[in-house]
Amino acid sequence: MRVGIIGIGMTAFRPSTPEYNWKELMFEAASRAYADAAINPREDVDSFITCAEDYYEGFGIFDEFVPDQLGAALRPTCTVSGDGLQGLANAYMQIQTGLIDVAVVEAHSKASDVVTLDGIIEHALDPIWNKPLGAHPFVVAGLEADAYLRGTRTSPKALAAVVAKNRRNGLRNPLAAYGAAVDADQAMQSEERFAPIRALDISNPADGCVVLVLASDRAAKKLHADPVWIRGIGWASDSPSLETRDWTAATYARIAADMAYRLAKVRRPATDIDFAEVDDRFSYKELQHLESLGLAKKGEAGTRVLRGDYDADGRFPVNVSGGSLGCGNVFEATGLHRAGEVALQLRGDAGVRQLDGVRVGVAQSWRFVPSATGAVAVLGAGP
Amino acid sequence: MTFLDRTTDARKFRHWEGDVEADYIYTSGVAGERFFVALRDEGRMLASRCTACKLDYLPPRMFCEDCFAELTEYVDVPRTGRVAAVTVAHVDRTGAKLSHPQVWAFVTFEGIRGGLLHRLLVAPKQARAGLSVQARLKSRDGRTGTIVDIEGFEPVRSRF
Repeated sequence: MRVGIIGIGMTAFRPSTPEYNWKELMFEAASRAYADAAINPREDVDSFITCAEDYYEGFGIFDEFVPDQLGAALRPTCTVSGDGLQGLANAYMQIQTGLIDVAVVEAHSKASDVVTLDGIIEHALDPIWNKPLGAHPFVVAGLEADAYLRGTRTSPKALAAVVAKNRRNGLRNPLAAYGAAVDADQAMQSEERFAPIRALDISNPADGCVVLVLASDRAAKKLHADPVWIRGIGWASDSPSLETRDWTAATYARIAADMAYRLAKVRRPATDIDFAEVDDRFSYKELQHLESLGLAKKGEAGTRVLRGDYDADGRFPVNVSGGSLGCGNVFEATGLHRAGEVALQLRGDAGVRQLDGVRVGVAQSWRFVPSATGAVAVLGAGP
Repeated sequence: MTFLDRTTDARKFRHWEGDVEADYIYTSGVAGERFFVALRDEGRMLASRCTACKLDYLPPRMFCEDCFAELTEYVDVPRTGRVAAVTVAHVDRTGAKLSHPQVWAFVTFEGIRGGLLHRLLVAPKQARAGLSVQARLKSRDGRTGTIVDIEGFEPVRSRF
């Protein structure tokens, strides 16, 4: 059975959203997704999946707070404690069972509500071996960036090129919070934070919500939808222990991609895939992820970004949405936003940033510092 | 208020300032206890051994990641390790700017799966991967059986 995306709803991503509470943010994205799919959630949806982490929300048992703002009261709902792309994988599997025809996936960020965001992220460090040391949690990213740059002989200039590209791409995305005409020199000269990571290498927090509506091919036909197909999806977690994980490659992304490519029958990702939206919440992550996804050879992503290959008009466009550097870090909504963006491109609905002739795109997520978890989805245009 | 009529002045909105009371004790566990007691009492660092996979884990744990066996043997970690990755932090744990940047390293040891994340006790300019280092411990009286009984790692001084 094929599973497709038949509705896309996103709010704008913004540094703060004082006029809405988090439920209203979800209500807006859901209203947009249901209007896009031309469905009534009270009648047409069989299952609702939200993706959230209680600590980011600021209250416990998030799934109890879900149903009303999604049109899901007294209907099957559940919460995946992970990135939105992991929720997408769950919805895909629910539909594959044949028990569910139409499923909704939601993920959001109301990071502006969190007064002590650094402290919340720090809570994810091992409480016995790592947290008592008193390091900022992004020290983990600094160490990984150092290992990646040295292990692949990638120049720090490549990180600056990622920053300049994605911030500029953000200018062409009306939903992006942090689009800016930043050039590589500015990025190279921004304040040092976690060497080799500088201030502009780090994505800034944003609020926002993404809702996608999924349907089986049978249900899509009944609803007269023109779906973007989920051709393959996969996910994986490396050891959570900082000490025993791979510090150079994103092994979680490679394993997740292998799973997604196998389902999608993608044998040569670098040629079978037209463009990618990958996690770039630190600039080095974009390059590391591209290599782990088999979209660049080890150590080549840096030279390719410097050559302009990953520009919107380059040989292999990467993060044309602006990525997290351009749009903002929307935490658990990050991967779902990228899947939505790939789907918009494949539908030809990406506005001024529309790519020509794209048929297959890949969206990839990472669960942010200090995790080693990721998911990958291969999406394809119809029929 | 609707989608068509959005107020953008944050001061017009009511909000409630809340906090989450969340205090814990984290038990070190069987393997952690072995490590921290040996560190405190004898100044030794222990790894747990998987005899099936021929792997020694640091931090020690009571199960093997690869074969899922229960681990009961412990071995000494070599005294000298190597800096595998290094970073210089210019902000503290809360994000506030530090007047003196802190150097952090991931230190690995020959023949050991894993390693330790800790302070690297050198000036930022001297921080580099590949350095040979040893743990500097607090004095016996100051040690309480936690990871901060190690003050950090410092370069091994040449004996010549």
